[in-house]
Amino acid sequence: MQSRRNFLKLSAGAAVGSLAATLSGTVQANTCGEINWDETVDVIVVGSGFAGLSAALNARRKDVGSVLLLEKMQVIGGNSAINGGWLAIPKNPIQLAQGVNDDSPEELVKDQIISGRGMHNEASLRLIANRALDAYHLCIDTGVKFRDGFNIQVGGHNKARAIRTQHGTGGDITTKLYEAGVKEGVDYRLQHYIEDFIMDGQKIIGVKVRKHYRFPDLKTGSSVFIKANKAVILANGGFARNMALREIVDPSLDPTLDCTNALGATGEVTLTAMAYGALPVHMNLIQTGHWGSPDEGGFGWSNALLSIGWHQGVAINVLNGKRFMDERADRKTCSEAIMKNRNADGSPAYPVVLFNYNNYANDDRVVRALRDKMAWKLDSLDAIATQFDIPVAELSRSIVEYNQHVRERKDPLFNRKMDTAEVLTGPFVVSRIWPKVHYCMGGLKTDLGARVIDGRSMEPIKNLYAIGEVTGGTHGEARLSSTSCLECLAMGIVVAETIKADLQGAV
Amino acid sequence: MNTLLLSTLLSLAVSGSVMAGDLVKMKGSTQGRVNHEFIYQDGCQTCHQGSGKKNATDAACVECHGDINSITVDESKLAIPEAHPHKSLHYNQGASCLACHGEHEKKAPVCTECHRTWFEVM
Ligand SMILES: Cc1cc2nc3c(=O)[nH]c(=O)nc-3n(C[C@H](O)[C@H](O)[C@H](O)COP(=O)(O)OP(=O)(O)OC[C@H]3O[C@@H](n4cnc5c(N)ncnc54)[C@H](O)[C@@H]3O)c2cc1C
Repeated sequence: MQSRRNFLKLSAGAAVGSLAATLSGTVQANTCGEINWDETVDVIVVGSGFAGLSAALNARRKDVGSVLLLEKMQVIGGNSAINGGWLAIPKNPIQLAQGVNDDSPEELVKDQIISGRGMHNEASLRLIANRALDAYHLCIDTGVKFRDGFNIQVGGHNKARAIRTQHGTGGDITTKLYEAGVKEGVDYRLQHYIEDFIMDGQKIIGVKVRKHYRFPDLKTGSSVFIKANKAVILANGGFARNMALREIVDPSLDPTLDCTNALGATGEVTLTAMAYGALPVHMNLIQTGHWGSPDEGGFGWSNALLSIGWHQGVAINVLNGKRFMDERADRKTCSEAIMKNRNADGSPAYPVVLFNYNNYANDDRVVRALRDKMAWKLDSLDAIATQFDIPVAELSRSIVEYNQHVRERKDPLFNRKMDTAEVLTGPFVVSRIWPKVHYCMGGLKTDLGARVIDGRSMEPIKNLYAIGEVTGGTHGEARLSSTSCLECLAMGIVVAETIKADLQGAV
Repeated sequence: MNTLLLSTLLSLAVSGSVMAGDLVKMKGSTQGRVNHEFIYQDGCQTCHQGSGKKNATDAACVECHGDINSITVDESKLAIPEAHPHKSLHYNQGASCLACHGEHEKKAPVCTECHRTWFEVM
């Protein structure tokens, strides 16, 4: 009976995956369903971002047996490795040293409730916030370095509580978690693409994996079956790079929008889980960053450069030479205003942002942007007009008018807060902008222990867990900056505890 | 393997104009690196155990060249010190050789997905 069930499930699974025709020789249908497992481990972790790395390391530390982490790409780290390295930790030592003594996990939750706009999961936000110091210590213990004395208040937070890694990238964290895992016995494999789950009824018992896979060619490598005795942890991240899915769940997402994410953020594991009953929530809640540049791939430098641009400079429509928005409004408002800049054929007419060069000549953000040619130093408005094909008379008129508004500290056009604005005299730093898709608030529904919920029974799918950006419902309408890193690291600790508890319950 | 490596280097020394990593026609329409000619003579099994698309891992690279830590990079040629391809701030030890190097095609390193102008297509 047992083996027959496996066979039935396996065939169903193969039909869901994209490789139904190439069922590997390891499945012996004629013996009615014996799966010849190529390998058996206790815990399989899918994905090597903050979530997967934290889960794998913590599972080892909880002594739940052998841990195998599978990653489809040729590098460890996913979005986490390219991320900005901001981490929100209430009561972190740097914050306390700065004299900010009135922060608490509850204060962070309060901020997240505001940005969640009623769609968030308060209990889950609280659980994560309460584990923030544990997440911080996980970093410190594994050798992660944060910037000395650096703790600031980032968008939507009511307190300065965001610390930043030494080099301003999540890679400072992923590389350390990875190295700690190597030392503590986590088995990591690159180029292992999860194709399908092997189910025994409402329990996951293993995965079908394309080993030696070379992204994005699904004909590379070959399929193997790996059994998971105790748990499969999904930590496969978001799906912002899956254009078809993105468009189906949010048709308002403009197809001209590029994406800040790593190329592997394509969500197929999320879809496979759904095919086995996992309940998706908030799939249409996808966050866009209005600080992208069309002159670089991914996240790049633009966001950092524009932290000067939005405050000290101005955004200009290239078609008519005019300002078109409050440069300091929120992500959604600015994205919408920017995307109205179109040529007659509907293609993007990328607006430009300009600010004075001299005050920022040695600023890292400017040096890097100019060096990598995603921004240009131009001496005059004439030069800007020529390079970006802007009507020069209109441009000059707009800047004269804007400078007047700066002097008066008042913006009658868009009501921007003008306290940081500078009179623009040139030479200028000029860059082009267009929003980019950034973060998926939606994903799989989990309980507080990170167990994946089956929508048909509203019960956990046995042995299946999910943490990080693959999950949905936690943040609601909008995630606050610096909270994903926290969530992934903290839930990696929580999921290891849950697995331990579930195993003890099972005995 | 090391003897093989040595003999290739010697043969390269006499072949003149082609550089060690140059991509040239190897077998049929397949391109490959000049310094890997001996592998092609061996029937490609060094990298692909079995069929072409199936198996190609770092193991073969490491066997001859050593692991990522033992391969020296001329640091004086780096655009900026942080852009050290074998000590990446994002990946460090957690990168496969194949993330940046291709045997049969010119390939842009993984960092060009987000960053510009640091490295040439190799
Ligand atoms: C450019 C950028 C900057 C950011 N900056 C910040 C910041 O400063 N602070 C902050 O808190 N948040 C930030 N975020 C958000 C945050 O980085 C992400 O939400 C977070 O890294 C997600 O982590 P994760 O572990 O859930 O997924 P990821 O880090 O994306 O890891 C998922 C992994 O799973 C792998 N995978 C997917 N499918 C499969 C499959 N079929 N088989 C095998 N493996 C698979 C992927 O290749 C990937 O490596 C940023 C995001 C981006 C894109």
